[in-house]
Amino acid sequence: MNSRTLTDRATLEAVQFAVASVHDPEYPGVSIAELGLVETVRVEDSEATIDLIPTYGGCPALDFIARDVRNAVMATQAVTACTITWLRAPIWTPDRVTGDVRRFLESEFTVTLRRSDGSLVCPVCGSGTVRDTAPMGPSRCRSLAYCDDCRNPVEVMR
Amino acid sequence: MTRSWTDLDDFQNFIDGGGIVEAVDDMPDDYRAEVFRFIEFHANSELMGGLTERDWIPRAPGVRLKQIFLAKTQDEIGHAHLLYQVAADMGFKDRTQMLEELFDGRSRFHNVFHYQAVTWADQIAIAYLVDAAAFASQRAVFAECTYGPYKRVLKRIISEEGFHMRHGEEMLLRLTEGTETQREMFQAALDRWWWPAVHLFGPDSDPNDPLLRWKIKSQPNEQLRHAYIQKYVPLLQSYGFRIPDDNLHYDDTFDGGKGAWLTSDIDWEPLKATMRQGGPDSRRRISNAAANYADTAWVREALQRTGAAA
Repeated sequence: MNSRTLTDRATLEAVQFAVASVHDPEYPGVSIAELGLVETVRVEDSEATIDLIPTYGGCPALDFIARDVRNAVMATQAVTACTITWLRAPIWTPDRVTGDVRRFLESEFTVTLRRSDGSLVCPVCGSGTVRDTAPMGPSRCRSLAYCDDCRNPVEVMR
Repeated sequence: MTRSWTDLDDFQNFIDGGGIVEAVDDMPDDYRAEVFRFIEFHANSELMGGLTERDWIPRAPGVRLKQIFLAKTQDEIGHAHLLYQVAADMGFKDRTQMLEELFDGRSRFHNVFHYQAVTWADQIAIAYLVDAAAFASQRAVFAECTYGPYKRVLKRIISEEGFHMRHGEEMLLRLTEGTETQREMFQAALDRWWWPAVHLFGPDSDPNDPLLRWKIKSQPNEQLRHAYIQKYVPLLQSYGFRIPDDNLHYDDTFDGGKGAWLTSDIDWEPLKATMRQGGPDSRRRISNAAANYADTAWVREALQRTGAAA
Protein backbone atom coordinates (compact mmCIF):
# COMPACT_ATOMS: atom_id res chain seq x y z
CA MET A 1 0.00 0.00 0.00
CA ASN A 2 1.61 3.28 -1.03
CA SER A 3 1.20 6.62 0.71
CA ARG A 4 -1.22 7.88 -1.93
CA THR A 5 -3.71 5.14 -1.08
CA LEU A 6 -3.49 5.99 2.60
CA THR A 7 -4.15 9.65 1.90
CA ASP A 8 -7.10 8.74 -0.31
CA ARG A 9 -8.52 6.63 2.45
CA ALA A 10 -8.06 9.41 5.00
CA THR A 11 -9.80 11.85 2.65
CA LEU A 12 -12.71 9.48 2.09
CA GLU A 13 -13.09 8.93 5.81
CA ALA A 14 -13.03 12.67 6.47
CA VAL A 15 -15.78 13.19 3.86
CA GLN A 16 -17.84 10.27 5.17
CA PHE A 17 -17.55 11.65 8.69
CA ALA A 18 -18.61 15.12 7.51
CA VAL A 19 -21.68 13.71 5.72
CA ALA A 20 -22.70 11.69 8.78
CA SER A 21 -22.34 14.78 10.98
CA VAL A 22 -25.29 16.44 9.20
CA HIS A 23 -28.51 16.25 11.20
CA ASP A 24 -31.99 15.96 9.79
CA PRO A 25 -33.60 19.44 10.01
CA GLU A 26 -36.75 17.98 11.59
CA TYR A 27 -34.98 15.67 14.05
CA PRO A 28 -32.19 17.59 15.77
CA GLY A 29 -29.73 15.00 17.12
CA VAL A 30 -30.37 12.46 14.36
CA SER A 31 -27.79 12.05 11.60
CA ILE A 32 -29.00 11.72 8.01
CA ALA A 33 -26.76 8.62 7.80
CA GLU A 34 -28.64 6.98 10.67
CA LEU A 35 -31.94 7.72 8.91
CA GLY A 36 -30.61 5.88 5.87
CA LEU A 37 -30.51 8.89 3.55
CA VAL A 38 -26.88 8.36 2.49
CA GLU A 39 -26.44 5.84 -0.32
CA THR A 40 -22.84 6.37 -1.47
CA VAL A 41 -19.91 8.63 -0.75
CA ARG A 42 -17.02 8.60 -3.26
CA VAL A 43 -13.88 10.65 -3.63
CA GLU A 44 -11.93 10.82 -6.88
CA ASP A 45 -9.23 13.33 -7.80
CA SER A 46 -10.10 15.47 -4.75
CA GLU A 47 -13.74 15.65 -5.80
CA ALA A 48 -16.49 14.25 -3.61
CA THR A 49 -19.59 12.67 -5.14
CA ILE A 50 -22.43 12.03 -2.72
CA ASP A 51 -25.64 10.20 -3.55
CA LEU A 52 -28.54 10.74 -1.18
CA ILE A 53 -31.99 9.14 -0.97
CA PRO A 54 -35.03 11.25 0.01
CA THR A 55 -37.63 9.76 2.36
CA TYR A 56 -40.21 11.30 0.00
CA GLY A 57 -39.63 13.05 -3.30
CA GLY A 58 -41.66 16.10 -2.28
CA CYS A 59 -39.84 16.60 1.01
CA PRO A 60 -39.25 20.35 1.51
CA ALA A 61 -36.07 19.72 3.48
CA LEU A 62 -34.06 18.33 0.54
CA ASP A 63 -32.43 21.65 -0.39
CA PHE A 64 -31.45 22.37 3.21
CA ILE A 65 -30.02 18.89 3.68
CA ALA A 66 -28.00 19.13 0.46
CA ARG A 67 -26.69 22.55 1.47
CA ASP A 68 -25.76 21.32 4.96
CA VAL A 69 -23.95 18.31 3.43
CA ARG A 70 -22.05 20.51 1.00
CA ASN A 71 -21.03 22.94 3.76
CA ALA A 72 -19.88 20.11 6.03
CA VAL A 73 -17.89 18.41 3.26
CA MET A 74 -16.23 21.60 2.01
CA ALA A 75 -15.38 22.60 5.61
CA THR A 76 -13.11 19.54 5.88
CA GLN A 77 -10.89 21.12 3.18
CA ALA A 78 -10.15 17.55 2.13
CA VAL A 79 -11.73 17.98 -1.31
CA THR A 80 -11.95 20.77 -3.87
CA ALA A 81 -15.46 20.04 -5.13
CA CYS A 82 -18.61 18.31 -3.98
CA THR A 83 -21.44 16.99 -6.16
CA ILE A 84 -24.65 15.98 -4.45
CA THR A 85 -27.41 14.03 -6.17
CA TRP A 86 -30.81 12.98 -4.85
CA LEU A 87 -31.42 9.51 -6.28
CA ARG A 88 -34.78 8.29 -7.54
CA ALA A 89 -33.83 4.69 -6.79
CA PRO A 90 -33.47 2.79 -4.56
CA ILE A 91 -36.53 4.04 -2.72
CA TRP A 92 -36.23 4.91 0.96
CA THR A 93 -38.01 2.56 3.34
CA PRO A 94 -38.17 2.58 7.16
CA ASP A 95 -35.83 -0.47 7.10
CA ARG A 96 -33.00 1.91 6.29
CA VAL A 97 -33.23 3.51 9.77
CA THR A 98 -30.60 2.05 12.08
CA GLY A 99 -31.52 0.37 15.36
CA ASP A 100 -30.04 2.89 17.79
CA VAL A 101 -31.71 5.82 16.15
CA ARG A 102 -35.07 4.05 16.23
CA ARG A 103 -34.88 4.07 20.01
CA PHE A 104 -33.83 7.73 19.98
CA LEU A 105 -36.76 8.69 17.72
CA GLU A 106 -39.09 6.85 20.08
CA SER A 107 -37.83 8.39 23.31
CA GLU A 108 -37.13 11.90 22.04
CA PHE A 109 -39.82 12.46 19.42
CA THR A 110 -42.54 9.84 20.13
CA VAL A 111 -42.00 8.73 16.54
CA THR A 112 -42.00 5.01 15.87
CA LEU A 113 -41.56 2.60 12.96
CA ARG A 114 -43.78 -0.31 12.06
CA ARG A 115 -42.40 -3.75 12.94
CA SER A 116 -41.74 -6.20 10.15
CA ASP A 117 -45.16 -7.85 10.70
CA GLY A 118 -46.86 -4.44 10.32
CA SER A 119 -47.68 -4.02 13.99
CA LEU A 120 -47.06 -0.96 16.12
CA VAL A 121 -45.72 -0.72 19.65
CA CYS A 122 -46.32 2.41 21.72
CA PRO A 123 -43.05 4.35 22.11
CA VAL A 124 -44.34 5.82 25.39
CA CYS A 125 -45.68 2.82 27.34
CA GLY A 126 -44.67 -0.20 25.25
CA SER A 127 -48.25 -1.35 24.78
CA GLY A 128 -49.35 -3.10 21.61
CA THR A 129 -52.75 -1.36 21.50
CA VAL A 130 -51.71 1.34 19.06
CA ARG A 131 -54.20 2.07 16.29
CA ASP A 132 -53.75 4.12 13.12
CA THR A 133 -55.77 7.34 13.18
CA ALA A 134 -54.79 9.28 10.05
CA PRO A 135 -52.80 8.40 6.94
CA MET A 136 -51.35 11.93 6.81
CA GLY A 137 -49.28 13.38 9.64
CA PRO A 138 -47.47 16.72 9.81
CA SER A 139 -45.00 15.60 7.16
CA ARG A 140 -45.00 13.36 4.10
CA CYS A 141 -42.91 10.72 5.88
CA ARG A 142 -45.20 10.32 8.90
CA SER A 143 -48.73 9.04 9.61
CA LEU A 144 -50.67 9.36 12.86
CA ALA A 145 -51.60 6.73 15.43
CA TYR A 146 -52.91 6.69 18.98
CA CYS A 147 -52.20 4.48 21.98
CA ASP A 148 -55.38 3.41 23.76
CA ASP A 149 -53.43 2.39 26.86
CA CYS A 150 -51.47 5.52 27.79
CA ARG A 151 -53.63 7.77 25.55
CA ASN A 152 -50.80 9.48 23.70
CA PRO A 153 -50.82 10.41 20.01
CA VAL A 154 -47.95 8.67 18.23
CA GLU A 155 -46.38 9.39 14.83
CA VAL A 156 -45.25 6.63 12.53
CA MET A 157 -42.41 6.99 10.01
CA ARG A 158 -43.54 5.36 6.82
CA MET B 1 -51.33 3.15 36.43
CA THR B 2 -53.63 5.95 37.53
CA ARG B 3 -52.21 8.34 40.05
CA SER B 4 -54.27 10.69 42.19
CA TRP B 5 -53.60 13.45 44.68
CA THR B 6 -55.28 14.12 48.02
CA ASP B 7 -55.72 17.87 47.41
CA LEU B 8 -54.35 20.82 45.42
CA ASP B 9 -51.39 21.23 47.81
CA ASP B 10 -50.43 17.62 47.30
CA PHE B 11 -50.72 18.14 43.53
CA GLN B 12 -48.65 21.34 43.71
CA ASN B 13 -45.88 19.46 45.53
CA PHE B 14 -45.89 16.90 42.76
CA ILE B 15 -45.63 19.66 40.12
CA ASP B 16 -42.93 21.54 42.04
CA GLY B 17 -40.96 18.31 42.36
CA GLY B 18 -40.76 18.06 38.56
CA GLY B 19 -43.71 15.67 38.14
CA ILE B 20 -45.34 15.10 34.74
CA VAL B 21 -49.09 14.45 34.61
CA GLU B 22 -50.31 11.73 32.23
CA ALA B 23 -53.68 11.40 30.49
CA VAL B 24 -54.63 8.39 32.61
CA ASP B 25 -54.02 10.23 35.91
CA ASP B 26 -56.83 11.46 38.12
CA MET B 27 -55.74 15.10 37.86
CA PRO B 28 -57.47 17.99 39.67
CA ASP B 29 -60.52 19.33 37.77
CA ASP B 30 -59.12 22.87 37.58
CA TYR B 31 -55.84 21.65 36.11
CA ARG B 32 -57.69 19.57 33.54
CA ALA B 33 -59.89 22.53 32.58
CA GLU B 34 -57.04 25.06 32.31
CA VAL B 35 -54.78 22.75 30.33
CA PHE B 36 -57.66 21.81 28.02
CA ARG B 37 -58.43 25.49 27.29
CA PHE B 38 -54.78 26.15 26.54
CA ILE B 39 -54.39 23.19 24.18
CA GLU B 40 -57.69 23.91 22.40
CA PHE B 41 -56.48 27.49 21.77
CA HIS B 42 -53.19 26.14 20.42
CA ALA B 43 -54.97 23.59 18.20
CA ASN B 44 -57.32 26.25 16.79
CA SER B 45 -54.33 28.48 16.07
CA GLU B 46 -52.43 25.76 14.21
CA LEU B 47 -55.50 25.04 12.09
CA MET B 48 -56.21 28.69 11.26
CA GLY B 49 -52.50 29.20 10.55
CA GLY B 50 -52.40 26.20 8.24
CA LEU B 51 -55.40 27.45 6.28
CA THR B 52 -53.63 30.79 5.83
CA GLU B 53 -50.50 29.13 4.49
CA ARG B 54 -52.70 27.14 2.12
CA ASP B 55 -54.20 30.32 0.64
CA TRP B 56 -50.72 31.33 -0.48
CA ILE B 57 -49.68 28.09 -2.21
CA PRO B 58 -51.00 29.20 -5.63
CA ARG B 59 -49.50 32.67 -5.19
CA ALA B 60 -46.05 31.61 -3.95
CA PRO B 61 -43.49 32.67 -6.58
CA GLY B 62 -41.86 29.55 -8.02
CA VAL B 63 -42.14 25.81 -7.66
CA ARG B 64 -39.74 25.58 -4.74
CA LEU B 65 -41.68 28.09 -2.63
CA LYS B 66 -44.95 26.37 -3.54
CA GLN B 67 -43.44 23.12 -2.31
CA ILE B 68 -42.38 24.82 0.94
CA PHE B 69 -45.85 26.30 1.48
CA LEU B 70 -47.47 22.94 0.75
CA ALA B 71 -45.23 21.33 3.35
CA LYS B 72 -45.83 24.08 5.91
CA THR B 73 -49.59 23.72 5.40
CA GLN B 74 -49.35 19.99 6.01
CA ASP B 75 -47.22 20.64 9.10
CA GLU B 76 -49.72 23.04 10.66
CA ILE B 77 -52.77 20.90 9.87
CA GLY B 78 -50.91 17.85 11.22
CA HIS B 79 -50.05 19.75 14.41
CA ALA B 80 -53.70 20.77 14.77
CA HIS B 81 -54.74 17.14 14.32
CA LEU B 82 -52.37 15.97 17.10
CA LEU B 83 -53.38 18.78 19.43
CA TYR B 84 -57.13 18.23 18.90
CA GLN B 85 -56.55 14.58 19.78
CA VAL B 86 -54.77 15.49 23.03
CA ALA B 87 -57.48 18.07 23.83
CA ALA B 88 -60.39 15.72 23.01
CA ASP B 89 -58.84 13.08 25.22
CA MET B 90 -59.26 15.39 28.21
CA GLY B 91 -62.97 14.71 28.11
CA PHE B 92 -64.63 18.11 27.72
CA LYS B 93 -65.37 18.27 23.99
CA ASP B 94 -64.75 15.95 21.08
CA ARG B 95 -62.96 17.14 17.97
CA THR B 96 -66.10 17.79 15.95
CA GLN B 97 -67.48 20.01 18.69
CA MET B 98 -64.24 21.99 18.92
CA LEU B 99 -64.18 22.48 15.15
CA GLU B 100 -67.84 23.50 14.97
CA GLU B 101 -67.38 26.05 17.74
CA LEU B 102 -64.33 27.44 15.96
CA PHE B 103 -66.15 27.80 12.64
CA ASP B 104 -69.15 29.30 14.42
CA GLY B 105 -66.90 32.08 15.76
CA ARG B 106 -67.36 30.91 19.35
CA SER B 107 -63.76 29.87 19.96
CA ARG B 108 -60.49 31.72 20.32
CA PHE B 109 -57.26 31.48 18.35
CA HIS B 110 -54.04 33.51 18.06
CA ASN B 111 -54.47 37.21 17.29
CA VAL B 112 -52.13 37.07 14.29
CA PHE B 113 -54.64 35.00 12.33
CA HIS B 114 -57.21 37.80 12.56
CA TYR B 115 -55.30 40.03 10.13
CA GLN B 116 -55.07 39.98 6.37
CA ALA B 117 -51.86 39.21 4.49
CA VAL B 118 -51.91 41.79 1.69
CA THR B 119 -48.80 41.01 -0.38
CA TRP B 120 -46.21 38.24 -0.66
CA ALA B 121 -44.02 40.35 1.65
CA ASP B 122 -46.65 39.88 4.37
CA GLN B 123 -46.12 36.16 4.05
CA ILE B 124 -42.41 36.73 4.60
CA ALA B 125 -43.06 39.00 7.58
CA ILE B 126 -45.30 36.26 8.98
CA ALA B 127 -42.69 33.54 8.40
CA TYR B 128 -39.90 35.68 9.82
CA LEU B 129 -41.59 37.58 12.66
CA VAL B 130 -44.81 35.84 13.60
CA ASP B 131 -43.51 32.28 13.35
CA ALA B 132 -40.56 33.35 15.50
CA ALA B 133 -42.90 34.78 18.14
CA ALA B 134 -45.00 31.61 18.12
CA PHE B 135 -41.83 29.51 18.25
CA ALA B 136 -40.51 31.45 21.28
CA SER B 137 -43.77 31.04 23.15
CA GLN B 138 -44.04 27.32 22.30
CA ARG B 139 -40.46 26.70 23.38
CA ALA B 140 -41.21 28.38 26.70
CA VAL B 141 -44.18 26.06 27.18
CA PHE B 142 -42.13 23.00 26.23
CA ALA B 143 -39.39 24.00 28.70
CA GLU B 144 -41.52 22.78 31.62
CA CYS B 145 -44.96 21.64 30.40
CA THR B 146 -46.23 19.32 33.11
CA TYR B 147 -48.85 17.66 30.89
CA GLY B 148 -47.04 14.70 29.28
CA PRO B 149 -49.09 14.13 26.10
CA TYR B 150 -48.92 17.86 25.25
CA LYS B 151 -45.19 18.01 25.99
CA ARG B 152 -44.53 15.10 23.57
CA VAL B 153 -46.50 16.76 20.77
CA LEU B 154 -44.76 20.09 21.46
CA LYS B 155 -41.38 18.45 21.06
CA ARG B 156 -42.15 17.61 17.44
CA ILE B 157 -43.91 20.91 16.81
CA ILE B 158 -40.92 22.98 17.92
CA SER B 159 -38.51 20.85 15.86
CA GLU B 160 -40.62 21.61 12.79
CA GLU B 161 -41.12 25.27 13.62
CA GLY B 162 -37.35 25.63 13.89
CA PHE B 163 -37.19 24.40 10.32
CA HIS B 164 -39.89 26.94 9.26
CA MET B 165 -37.76 29.70 10.71
CA ARG B 166 -34.92 28.77 8.37
CA HIS B 167 -37.36 29.26 5.50
CA GLY B 168 -38.42 32.62 6.92
CA GLU B 169 -34.82 33.84 7.18
CA GLU B 170 -34.04 32.61 3.69
CA MET B 171 -37.06 34.37 2.18
CA LEU B 172 -36.28 37.60 4.04
CA LEU B 173 -32.63 37.57 2.95
CA ARG B 174 -33.70 37.13 -0.64
CA LEU B 175 -36.03 40.12 -0.44
CA THR B 176 -33.48 42.35 1.33
CA GLU B 177 -31.03 41.69 -1.47
CA GLY B 178 -33.68 42.61 -4.03
CA THR B 179 -34.85 45.85 -5.58
CA GLU B 180 -35.88 49.00 -3.75
CA THR B 181 -39.52 48.10 -4.49
CA GLN B 182 -39.06 44.74 -2.78
CA ARG B 183 -37.53 46.38 0.26
CA GLU B 184 -40.42 48.86 0.39
CA MET B 185 -42.85 45.95 0.20
CA PHE B 186 -41.23 44.35 3.20
CA GLN B 187 -41.19 47.63 5.14
CA ALA B 188 -44.94 48.02 4.49
CA ALA B 189 -45.51 44.44 5.67
CA LEU B 190 -43.38 45.05 8.77
CA ASP B 191 -45.51 48.12 9.53
CA ARG B 192 -48.58 45.87 9.46
CA TRP B 193 -47.16 42.90 11.38
CA TRP B 194 -44.81 44.29 14.03
CA TRP B 195 -47.47 45.06 16.62
CA PRO B 196 -49.55 41.91 16.08
CA ALA B 197 -46.34 39.88 16.54
CA VAL B 198 -45.57 41.72 19.80
CA HIS B 199 -49.20 41.26 20.90
CA LEU B 200 -48.97 37.51 20.35
CA PHE B 201 -47.19 37.12 23.70
CA GLY B 202 -50.19 38.65 25.46
CA PRO B 203 -50.40 41.33 28.16
CA ASP B 204 -48.39 41.01 31.39
CA SER B 205 -49.18 37.74 33.16
CA ASP B 206 -51.26 37.73 36.30
CA PRO B 207 -48.78 36.61 39.00
CA ASN B 208 -51.47 34.15 40.13
CA ASP B 209 -51.91 32.67 36.65
CA PRO B 210 -52.59 28.96 37.34
CA LEU B 211 -50.79 28.05 34.09
CA LEU B 212 -47.57 29.44 35.62
CA ARG B 213 -48.22 27.79 38.98
CA TRP B 214 -48.84 24.43 37.33
CA LYS B 215 -45.88 24.90 35.02
CA ILE B 216 -47.65 24.77 31.71
CA LYS B 217 -46.06 28.15 31.06
CA SER B 218 -42.45 28.44 32.23
CA GLN B 219 -42.17 32.22 31.96
CA PRO B 220 -44.59 35.13 32.31
CA ASN B 221 -45.74 36.76 29.05
CA GLU B 222 -43.84 40.00 29.66
CA GLN B 223 -40.47 38.20 29.94
CA LEU B 224 -40.96 36.40 26.64
CA ARG B 225 -42.15 39.57 24.93
CA HIS B 226 -39.17 41.53 26.27
CA ALA B 227 -36.67 38.90 25.06
CA TYR B 228 -38.32 38.86 21.62
CA ILE B 229 -38.09 42.64 21.27
CA GLN B 230 -34.41 42.57 22.31
CA LYS B 231 -33.66 40.03 19.58
CA TYR B 232 -35.73 41.32 16.67
CA VAL B 233 -35.27 45.10 16.94
CA PRO B 234 -31.52 44.97 16.22
CA LEU B 235 -31.93 42.21 13.62
CA LEU B 236 -34.52 44.12 11.59
CA GLN B 237 -32.54 47.34 11.93
CA SER B 238 -29.38 45.58 10.74
CA TYR B 239 -31.24 44.71 7.51
CA GLY B 240 -32.07 48.41 7.17
CA PHE B 241 -35.75 48.28 8.16
CA ARG B 242 -37.60 50.65 10.46
CA ILE B 243 -39.66 49.43 13.43
CA PRO B 244 -43.06 51.19 13.33
CA ASP B 245 -42.76 52.74 16.80
CA ASP B 246 -41.74 56.40 17.18
CA ASN B 247 -40.94 55.97 20.85
CA LEU B 248 -38.72 52.94 20.44
CA HIS B 249 -35.37 53.65 22.09
CA TYR B 250 -32.42 51.96 23.72
CA ASP B 251 -32.20 52.62 27.45
CA ASP B 252 -28.65 52.11 28.77
CA THR B 253 -29.81 52.30 32.36
CA PHE B 254 -32.41 49.52 32.10
CA ASP B 255 -32.05 46.72 34.64
CA GLY B 256 -29.13 48.24 36.56
CA GLY B 257 -27.15 49.22 33.47
CA LYS B 258 -27.67 46.07 31.38
CA GLY B 259 -29.59 48.13 28.83
CA ALA B 260 -32.58 47.20 26.69
CA TRP B 261 -34.78 48.25 23.79
CA LEU B 262 -37.96 49.80 25.14
CA THR B 263 -41.13 50.29 23.12
CA SER B 264 -44.07 52.67 23.45
CA ASP B 265 -46.72 51.73 25.96
CA ILE B 266 -48.47 48.84 24.27
CA ASP B 267 -52.08 49.37 23.21
CA TRP B 268 -53.83 46.09 23.96
CA GLU B 269 -57.18 47.01 22.42
CA PRO B 270 -56.39 45.37 19.04
CA LEU B 271 -55.54 42.12 20.84
CA LYS B 272 -58.75 42.21 22.88
CA ALA B 273 -60.75 42.80 19.69
CA THR B 274 -59.29 39.65 18.10
CA MET B 275 -60.30 37.62 21.16
CA ARG B 276 -63.91 38.70 20.45
CA GLN B 277 -63.52 37.77 16.75
CA GLY B 278 -63.49 41.53 16.08
CA GLY B 279 -60.11 41.75 14.33
CA PRO B 280 -59.75 43.36 10.88
CA ASP B 281 -59.98 40.02 9.05
CA SER B 282 -61.70 37.79 11.64
CA ARG B 283 -65.00 37.34 9.83
CA ARG B 284 -63.49 36.45 6.47
CA ARG B 285 -60.98 34.06 8.03
CA ILE B 286 -63.58 32.23 10.06
CA SER B 287 -66.08 31.98 7.21
CA ASN B 288 -63.36 30.70 4.85
CA ALA B 289 -62.41 28.05 7.40
CA ALA B 290 -66.05 27.06 7.81
CA ALA B 291 -66.53 26.84 4.04
CA ASN B 292 -63.42 24.68 3.77
CA TYR B 293 -64.77 22.36 6.47
CA ALA B 294 -68.07 22.03 4.60
CA ASP B 295 -66.30 21.46 1.26
CA THR B 296 -64.24 18.61 2.70
CA ALA B 297 -67.11 16.81 4.44
CA TRP B 298 -67.13 14.22 1.64
CA VAL B 299 -63.50 13.27 2.44
CA ARG B 300 -64.31 12.56 6.07
CA GLU B 301 -67.38 10.61 5.01
CA ALA B 302 -65.47 8.60 2.42
CA LEU B 303 -62.74 7.72 4.93
CA GLN B 304 -65.33 6.58 7.44
CA ARG B 305 -67.20 4.45 4.89
CA THR B 306 -64.10 2.71 3.64
CA GLY B 307 -63.20 1.93 7.24
CA ALA B 308 -59.95 3.84 6.93
CA ALA B 309 -58.92 5.89 9.92
CA ALA B 310 -60.25 9.43 9.66
